[in-house]
Amino acid sequence: MKTTDIIRRAGRSLKHAKARTILTSLAIAVGAFTLTIALAAGEGAREYANTLLTTNIDPQVLAIAKDPSLFQGGKTGPQEYNPDSSIVARPNGASVKQLTQADIDAIAKRSDIASITPTYSINAQYITRAGQKKYTVEATTYDSGVTQTVLAGSLPPLRTSITNTQIALPEAYVSLLGFADDRAAIGQTVTIHLERTPSVTQAQIQQAIAQNDPAALQALTAKQVEDANYTVVAIVGKSATALTATTNVQISNDSAKALSEFSTAGTPSYHQYTIATASVKAGIDPAVVKKALVAEGYGVQTAKDLQSLLFTIVNTLQGIVIGFGVLALITSVFGIINTQYISVLERTREIGLMKALGMRGRHVSRLFQFEAAWIGFLGGVIGSLVAIIAGLALNPWITSTLSLGDGNVLLIFQPIPIILLIVVLMAIAMLAGYFPARKAARLDPIEALRTE
Amino acid sequence: MIEIRNVTKTYGKKQNAFVALNDISFVIPDGASVAIVGKSGSGKSTLMHAMSGLDRPEKGEVLIDGVDILKLKSKAVDKFRSEKIGFIFQAFFVQANESSYENVALPLEIADLSAKVRKKRVAAALRVVGLSDKEKQKARNLSGGQKQRLAIARAIVNQPRIIFADEPTGNLDTATGTTIEKLLFGLNKQSGGTLVIVTHDEELAAKCDMRIYIKDGKIDRLVGGKGGKK
Repeated sequence: MKTTDIIRRAGRSLKHAKARTILTSLAIAVGAFTLTIALAAGEGAREYANTLLTTNIDPQVLAIAKDPSLFQGGKTGPQEYNPDSSIVARPNGASVKQLTQADIDAIAKRSDIASITPTYSINAQYITRAGQKKYTVEATTYDSGVTQTVLAGSLPPLRTSITNTQIALPEAYVSLLGFADDRAAIGQTVTIHLERTPSVTQAQIQQAIAQNDPAALQALTAKQVEDANYTVVAIVGKSATALTATTNVQISNDSAKALSEFSTAGTPSYHQYTIATASVKAGIDPAVVKKALVAEGYGVQTAKDLQSLLFTIVNTLQGIVIGFGVLALITSVFGIINTQYISVLERTREIGLMKALGMRGRHVSRLFQFEAAWIGFLGGVIGSLVAIIAGLALNPWITSTLSLGDGNVLLIFQPIPIILLIVVLMAIAMLAGYFPARKAARLDPIEALRTE
Repeated sequence: MIEIRNVTKTYGKKQNAFVALNDISFVIPDGASVAIVGKSGSGKSTLMHAMSGLDRPEKGEVLIDGVDILKLKSKAVDKFRSEKIGFIFQAFFVQANESSYENVALPLEIADLSAKVRKKRVAAALRVVGLSDKEKQKARNLSGGQKQRLAIARAIVNQPRIIFADEPTGNLDTATGTTIEKLLFGLNKQSGGTLVIVTHDEELAAKCDMRIYIKDGKIDRLVGGKGGKK
């Protein structure tokens, strides 16, 4: 018997039992729906992560740390002592070796590195301006590789930094610092205040005591302060696809360095950096540079590494949703087995007749397996169609609720994975139909055709 | 020619054994109409199953045109049934929710014939039984007599050498039964194939060329034929 004839007969048998067919395939449709959504959400999340990275991170950028374990969360347990490099304890109990200025200089000299900027730690006390209250502040280095949403004023073009006297303020500070609106802040002067506890040597103290000069002693132990003044160049808004924390004020690299040196002077963390950002020269593969630096003992992360890290998270979440879909499918498999067994029982006569007319057991079995495959196909199509319609209808709402930003959607439906999904569902349904089909194939036509 | 030699069929094992067919032998010449007559439980149905390759008696030979179908592999037996045998049953066994066309096309599909040939043959078979106008009708909408005519069309559509009819008129009223009988005998004369009717109806049996009376698994009497014993 020709396979096409068997498939046609299988389709007709299902048509004759419409209610049963639809109900059985709806069970599969639930699984198909979940899986389609999971596939679409995974795809959308990866796309979104990609958008975030490409708009925020220069692909030529490397993140470099002294300690390769930093990117795995830091090493726990005791570390080898190195007098030149301090070890900073991390909140999670791990400790991380710091980059020294010598490391930075050595990397800067490399022929494949265009520039390197350590992440300066600036312990600013507060930000203020004349006649206003003081507010806590985090200052970071202006990143010239990132496009930012400018609400007022202007920022220099990409790869060009703001000057040493300029500052970019997040919009939150506009009203706090008493500006009428965003535009009113531009060109005004703000002050960042820093303090440090002086580092005093034993000799200095002894000298002051020896000279019996209380004023000198007080001067030695007095807090040292610095007020850095900056002109507001731009007010930066929050962007949907921005990774950078826009609650930080941004100052130029040199200013950040100066402030950092002031706050860490005399402490072990002077000229010690947890992490540095290096830019690989154009035309050189960052992965190659990474390899060279890793060979020298540094911990290096490329933009691609970050991407794969984000993807790992997305994939894990997607895996969980897929797990639920698979559970639904397993349930539906029992549904198919049950339905097909009943179908075999109901059609004992028909099977007996077909076998009496010389139909091979193999073909009878195939007839029932194809019926199961049809059920799988129907379920797959119903489930994925409903998922696509619901997904496309809900996408705008999801985008606005999660504030993903215009043009970004969470659910991206791609035809090939969905077609593959349907094919896999058909295969699973066929497998589920195996036992009932075998029962049908083994029916004895004489028994099946007994009238009484 | 159908030649049955010393066929014995036993159901069950050892002390529970029941001999359904006990050393049966006879010969049916080509083109004959034969009635296998007996009460229910006499073994007449078992004999039909053995002759048509549905059942395998443990002893004896069933020679159809010189080939012992008991020695064939199951695949070859299926092929033999699909090419050389037609079946007609008391309860029709037409598929109620399929159209007349699909019912009649089934044996041809099983025999792996192309759609084109199928179409021609089905139309011809339906014409013979007078159901041409019901081709697209669902079988459930046909009357009892029409259903049996449809079953006859299905039995003759692959132009078999032998047609087995198991109580073909058992479920029909007398008038309709007579029509079916006429149709069967007419086809038998026309086609030159063999018609084997299993029945307990003496009147129907009397219309056959040859009658084999079965009683308790043995041949009781053989009328009009030759070669059997007892």
